[in-house]
Amino acid sequence: MIARRTVLAGGAASAAALGLAACGSDSSKGSGTDGKGKTLTLWIMEGTNPSTDAYIADLKKKFKEATQADLTVEVQPWDGAHDKFVNVMGGDSAPDVAEVGTTWTPEFADAGGLDPIGDELEEAGLSGKYVKALKESATLEGEVFGAPWYAGVRSILANKDLLSAAGVDKQPGNWQELLDAAQALKKKDPSTIPFPISGGSPFGLLPFIWGAGGEIAKQSGDTWKAAIADSPAVEGVTWYTDIALKHKLSTPAASTWKETDALAAFQKGDVGMFITGSWVPATIKEKSPELYDKLMAFTIPAKDSEVAPSFLGGSHLCRFTGTKEPELAFELIKLMTTGEFAANWAKQTNFFPGEQSALDEVVTSGDDLTAVFAKQMTEGGKSVPVTPLWGQVEGKKTIPNLLNTVLTGGKDAATACQDAAKEMDQIFDD
Amino acid sequence: MSTAPSTAAPSVRRPSRAARLRRALPPWLLLAPALITLGVLLLWPMIRVADLSLQKFRLRHLLRGEREYIVLENYQKILTDDHLWLTVLPNTIGFAAVCVAATMLVGTVVALFLNTLSTPWRIICTTAIMVAWAVPALTGTYIFVWLFDPHSGFVAGVLEWLGLLEADTVNWWNNRWAFYGIAALNVVYHGFPFIAVTILAGLMTVPKELYEAARVDGAGAWRRFASVTVPTMRPIFAVCLILSTIWDFKVFTQIYLMPGGDGSNRSVMNLGVWSYTEAAGQGHYGMGAAIAVLLTALLLVISVVYLRTLLKEDDL
Amino acid sequence: MRGPSPARRILTGFGIAVVLIYALFPFYWMLSTAVDPHADARGAGLLPSGFTLDHFHRVLVEADFLQYVKVSLLVALGTVVASGAIALLAAVAVARFRFRFRSVVLIMVLVVQMVPLEALVIPLFLQAKSLNMLNSLLGLVIVYLAFSLPFAIWNLRGFVAAVPKELEEAAYVDGASWWRMFRSVLLPLVAPGLVATSVFSFITAWNEFIFALTFMTDSSKYPVGVGLRTFFTTNTAEWGAVMAASTIIALPVVVFFVLVQRNLASGLTAGAVKG
Repeated sequence: MIARRTVLAGGAASAAALGLAACGSDSSKGSGTDGKGKTLTLWIMEGTNPSTDAYIADLKKKFKEATQADLTVEVQPWDGAHDKFVNVMGGDSAPDVAEVGTTWTPEFADAGGLDPIGDELEEAGLSGKYVKALKESATLEGEVFGAPWYAGVRSILANKDLLSAAGVDKQPGNWQELLDAAQALKKKDPSTIPFPISGGSPFGLLPFIWGAGGEIAKQSGDTWKAAIADSPAVEGVTWYTDIALKHKLSTPAASTWKETDALAAFQKGDVGMFITGSWVPATIKEKSPELYDKLMAFTIPAKDSEVAPSFLGGSHLCRFTGTKEPELAFELIKLMTTGEFAANWAKQTNFFPGEQSALDEVVTSGDDLTAVFAKQMTEGGKSVPVTPLWGQVEGKKTIPNLLNTVLTGGKDAATACQDAAKEMDQIFDD
Repeated sequence: MSTAPSTAAPSVRRPSRAARLRRALPPWLLLAPALITLGVLLLWPMIRVADLSLQKFRLRHLLRGEREYIVLENYQKILTDDHLWLTVLPNTIGFAAVCVAATMLVGTVVALFLNTLSTPWRIICTTAIMVAWAVPALTGTYIFVWLFDPHSGFVAGVLEWLGLLEADTVNWWNNRWAFYGIAALNVVYHGFPFIAVTILAGLMTVPKELYEAARVDGAGAWRRFASVTVPTMRPIFAVCLILSTIWDFKVFTQIYLMPGGDGSNRSVMNLGVWSYTEAAGQGHYGMGAAIAVLLTALLLVISVVYLRTLLKEDDL
Repeated sequence: MRGPSPARRILTGFGIAVVLIYALFPFYWMLSTAVDPHADARGAGLLPSGFTLDHFHRVLVEADFLQYVKVSLLVALGTVVASGAIALLAAVAVARFRFRFRSVVLIMVLVVQMVPLEALVIPLFLQAKSLNMLNSLLGLVIVYLAFSLPFAIWNLRGFVAAVPKELEEAAYVDGASWWRMFRSVLLPLVAPGLVATSVFSFITAWNEFIFALTFMTDSSKYPVGVGLRTFFTTNTAEWGAVMAASTIIALPVVVFFVLVQRNLASGLTAGAVKG
């Protein structure tokens, strides 16, 4: 981590110097028209926005108007994206600006692939304009390495028909009420899966660890220490997995489900309620409108309250250290993460915008479902430990492994949590 | 008996240097394009993998071009890990052995069967087999996962209908044997068309006269297979066997995409997945490379044994 | 030959049915899901829940999948031609000549494909970068050539070795040059092997995606393997579109095979006449 600074300092400084030298005389005129004849490359991820092409066309036009520079947009599939970033970072083939998944930002920043933009955000008066938890996930050792673009959060989505048949109609105020609701569903119709516990999805588990007052890991000074074996976290893991093991409100098949599998089962009408992302209702609306009308959403409750912290994930727009046009790159980030372009992107993708004012507007103008997810996001939005090492914990599948082990009866929750903690500490200490 | 000019003609006189060179040159000229391509694009990167396996190599090393040699530490870590000996290695070797045997068997039986068919039926069947080969591995894997879905899949439905299984009571993905059984079905499904088509092509090059002669000598079908087909086709069988072994040891996509196969269920990990999760998943490129080298070494040993036992000196 | 007995006919019919079902069932599943309006919720039913071409529309029109197909065709055909030619030369060298280090060459050709491809991504990327092969279709052809060559050489070597030397010698006795012999004796006899090899090379180049993904940044140069991945995001998968795209990916392979299949048959007759 010490080495990072030297690289960043070297890379960023020389890049900035180049940029400044290249447009010195123009920029003294003050306006944003210093990009004539220059081309920036932007990478965005495939599949987030069904109308990507129209958005890109607008963006190119607007960017040209604002800076006179041209924009090349390359759309990258999510699959294999991590490898691709790793390969190009620091080289000529790297983009100037790219969409980077929030959990990758610290890792790439630490490796020296990203260029800090904190000072420029401050100057442009944007520092306080983004959703806090999202900006935090781009902040490493006091430096900001990306601007929040869009995000999503997980809450509970339910089938109104099944719920009302079982007499369930209100937001569970705590764990017990959630359990009661699921048990009522089971009692009414034993063939439904009241509340599947997807073993392949760590994002379903986290709200229960956090909701019990636990943490995955804690920071002390420069280092991180696993907290997943501490008693509140173990309580959360135990309670969550007991839904399947003790109360039999899930199904054995779910122990290897990912979020997509739970969604498929829900679409078939087999599932009462499940934990899923805020972008899902729109997907359901498009694919099966009749099911959309039956949707109902709840915030994931904490042990004793309505809203548990839930993982807030999404994308940052980051400037890469290889860029020769740092100023133009920042202009592009600013254009995309604020105002019209931020709001449009969020609207087209059914994600929440990373800009707080745009988010507020979505919440006030949105429907009931949106309001529930937005509540979970604003009151409970939380990020995983912001450390470059978190990527390794994710890559090692520590949390899915923990869930899978407990759900298949391999180990009890406390032992499995201890193993997971040991694994994380090995990564943190390395 | 006359010999072709290209193969060594018996000669009493010691040939001159130029003549020797003239004779040694043609095979190397023929080989040159292949060797250059393979050397530059596979051998050299492979040497770099070996070099990486001796280093502590993370994302930041890659970005800065730094080197930090730790010599055998990666290997030491792997070889002293119980995970390797109890889980990964048995999974890899057992699975590959079953898949190779099953693929060869199914492929050969299908090829022999196709060879007995009339031309139109043979074309229909080989085309169908090609369809199996043409389904992308990714899609094929998803289809098998889907068919075997324990909650609502086709197989669970049939088993329930037959009264052999109560719905929603088991999840076979969590069982190491069932997991690999389904993976084997998938891998064999993808692998047998290659074996069948290659062996069929081989069967077609066996001169019919040899069979006729055997028939005249009173040999039955099995005899003809053992005394004509097998010896003539031995090099082709050997190649199919060696290549299937190499591919089945390296199976990655098909395992990684199955439920729990991405590392979240550690008991079903194989060498390929382990190497990948270390390297691409966690950014331990040196460690991932060391596992890859280990896999290569294992394959090398097996191939040498194969070559020794399967091929006579003049076959190689 | 006399006509087969009825029992034998039934057995043959049964065999054909088994082969067809095993080979085609997953394909059927793919195709029927591709036309299922509720593809995402497809359960155990043998028949799709309805019929729709929406998924194909999504793939072909909205996602412009034919662009990927075009790229892949170029790359795959390039790979087939190059690897067929280069491998045949190499196969003749190792099967017909005795020279020093011959076994070493053969073993090295085997060894280079033993490293898991996933481990090669980064070294090969760096290599391609230094050779200026990134983001170029020719570069991709050369990489796939390298992937398909080891198999092609070993496979063709078996076929060349299986051609009886006596046939070649007979050609020489008739006064043919080496080239003449190669063209009129060796080539027709190894044609079935070339077909099997080219199908293999075609599929290697056609389905590969890891390297295409890392080598190509310009999305107009993505092949079908990468195109298929675009229907998956981190949290969702469009099953209908995935299956429709897979169907489109599988078709050219089958067409290619049907086209070259005739050579399998002509190879057969050539063998019968000459042998």
